[in-house]
Amino acid sequence: MTPIPDAVSRKIAVLAGSLSAISNKPVEIFNESRIEFLAQLSRYLLAHPASKALPDVVTFAYWCRHANLMRLRTLYLRDHRLRMGLGLTFHISPANVPVNFAFSMAFGLLSGNTCVLRLPRKASATADVLVQTIKTLLDEPRYLALRQVLALVQYERDDEISKFWMSEADGRIIWGGDQTVTHMRAFPCKPRSREVAFSDRYSLCVLNPVSILEMDKRVFKQFCKDLFNDVYLMDQAACSSPQLIAWIGNQEDARSAQTRLWPAVVKIAKQKYALQAVQVMDKFVQACRSALSGSHVQVIERHENLLYRMRLDAIDLHQDAYRGYFGTVHEVVLPHLDELGPIVNERYQTLTVHGIDNAFTREWIVRHQLRGIDRVVPVGRAMDMNIVWDGYDMVASLSRLIDV
Amino acid sequence: MFDAMQSLTAHHKGACLAYRQILEKLWSEQDFASIEALPFLPVRLFKHERLLSVPQSEVVKTMTSSGTSGQSVSHIFLDKQTSAMQVKVLSRIVGEFIGPRRLPMLVIDCRSTVANRLKFSARTAGILGFSMFARDVEFALDDDMSLNEERVSQFAAKNAGQPILIFGFTFIVWLHLLRWLESRSNSLALEQGILIHGGGWKQLQSQAVDHQEFRQRLLAVTGISRVHNYYGMVEQTGSIFMECEHGHLHASAWSDVIVRDPINFNPLPSGQPGLIQLLSVIPRSYPGHSLLSEDEGALLGVDDCPCGRLGAYFKVLGRIQNAETRGCSDTYT
Repeated sequence: MTPIPDAVSRKIAVLAGSLSAISNKPVEIFNESRIEFLAQLSRYLLAHPASKALPDVVTFAYWCRHANLMRLRTLYLRDHRLRMGLGLTFHISPANVPVNFAFSMAFGLLSGNTCVLRLPRKASATADVLVQTIKTLLDEPRYLALRQVLALVQYERDDEISKFWMSEADGRIIWGGDQTVTHMRAFPCKPRSREVAFSDRYSLCVLNPVSILEMDKRVFKQFCKDLFNDVYLMDQAACSSPQLIAWIGNQEDARSAQTRLWPAVVKIAKQKYALQAVQVMDKFVQACRSALSGSHVQVIERHENLLYRMRLDAIDLHQDAYRGYFGTVHEVVLPHLDELGPIVNERYQTLTVHGIDNAFTREWIVRHQLRGIDRVVPVGRAMDMNIVWDGYDMVASLSRLIDV
Repeated sequence: MFDAMQSLTAHHKGACLAYRQILEKLWSEQDFASIEALPFLPVRLFKHERLLSVPQSEVVKTMTSSGTSGQSVSHIFLDKQTSAMQVKVLSRIVGEFIGPRRLPMLVIDCRSTVANRLKFSARTAGILGFSMFARDVEFALDDDMSLNEERVSQFAAKNAGQPILIFGFTFIVWLHLLRWLESRSNSLALEQGILIHGGGWKQLQSQAVDHQEFRQRLLAVTGISRVHNYYGMVEQTGSIFMECEHGHLHASAWSDVIVRDPINFNPLPSGQPGLIQLLSVIPRSYPGHSLLSEDEGALLGVDDCPCGRLGAYFKVLGRIQNAETRGCSDTYT
């Protein structure tokens, strides 16, 4: 690959790995030494004393444990075709979901690529533990070879540096929303380079009221916890956090289900969600503004300040323009899933569902010829990162299929 | 007070569509049976929306908030009646502290702050508002914000033997009077002065001292012993909360204060910190009679302040702190 210009390398801080011997030579997907490296990383992270307080680190460590990687390997290799990495991948990782750089790294390595990752400048306990553990591993003699294919770096916002890597990379992985994607896309790239870009997305949740009314106490309790996690874990600001709650059924059932569901979810939020005054203010201002502009907002039901429910009498064609944070959901009752078809555009990402058959959802997506919705998962799984994400099969996107 | 607030609520509900929509959608199932149960708007809403309860043609003045840097400013629309009420209420509140007579007034600011009438900031509004109770207004600072000690001394000498009203914004008094004199080891003889200051510390928050230290150090370099801080916001101009001799902020006969729990907006008893809600009988041309501020504070008591003033008294703890933002969008830092 092109040697890194002094002007660029001078301004880069290398947090783990090394840039001096970095190579753009790919390997086959699910290469054994890389699986071994990630599995060891998983073990180190799970044993790390700081991990206990960091559920996102544990989630990542659990995902890249040996058994799961071997399961994925089997899945990807079952057709016995040859797949190799692209070469050098450069990753712009997100500041606000700190663990995602680790997933990005794992996807890149498992796809057979060299990974240079720019980490956000914003410090976080999650990033600290991950970076330190990766560095410890890379410093061990048995992982010497990995030092040529992995580097975690940091630099100030600097177009000269981003431009070098963006132009050099065979694969560009850009996290960070519409603005970052547009900014990074402006840099020239190799004719053969590929891009995986994570832009701003909108997500929704579809519930069957009858099914919620029929749940026994134990199942219901777990369901409420799951829904709480989906909505509140990332302050409702993640791409996959549900914004719209659509009840599919008749008004009476929906009302009964709402009466059962929401107070129970609020009870969990009261115990588990540390709502801050400044967030309350943002929510309250937004609720007042919605009362003015959102013509479909019929009433805003406030469950203390923990949950605001913007109850709509109909859905807007531009429903994805109405977002909420910190426990602000838009809620509508619809007689049939078909009513949702026309509003789904390419910004729609995750559909969390309960009480609706997967086969039915598939048929619905095809019949409505939807340009959006890249994930359909049960309630409680909205935040689960996976190797298929945002409509991309990360391994397929970051590797070449060689026709032998 | 409650009757006045109730009738203002009804007035705005009838006259301001936006206010009515908010009440109908956010307060739909509640009755307004007590002052705590009356609805309130977040003060930030005035930064986003044009809210008025009179025809545009009756607006005689539009006030804007100073706003912290990078934020949009509030727009407050005043008709004749509301504007007159601001002056009346302010003069009655201030009169209680400085007496009914007009006093010579020394402004701790420079003349150019008020010269530009087009830029009607909170600072301009404050200076002009207080000038109305004064005669013979003098400015202590030159236009480069340096203290003109000679001019101040002359003004004090000219008015020897009678009280002087001294007015300024807290951070300006601190930086351009108190610290100016301290750093030069100078002092002034302003024993006859009554200082009224407000507006908070703004960008000097890191230097903020408590009112006791502020008073002591000011006394040392200026001789001023009568000091009253005040608290208020441009969205309720005229309705200020004055600090008494015991360092407590007091609601007046034209205002009230409620402290609310951020979790559920329930009113909190004395001693418990929460969000400060301010009520004022003044705003009639815009729905700002009951506003939830972005400040945290705590009630200290009602009717039992050692200074003898009746009504609620409280303290301000400061602006609510910005939290870390999370989420997926625009995260390249």
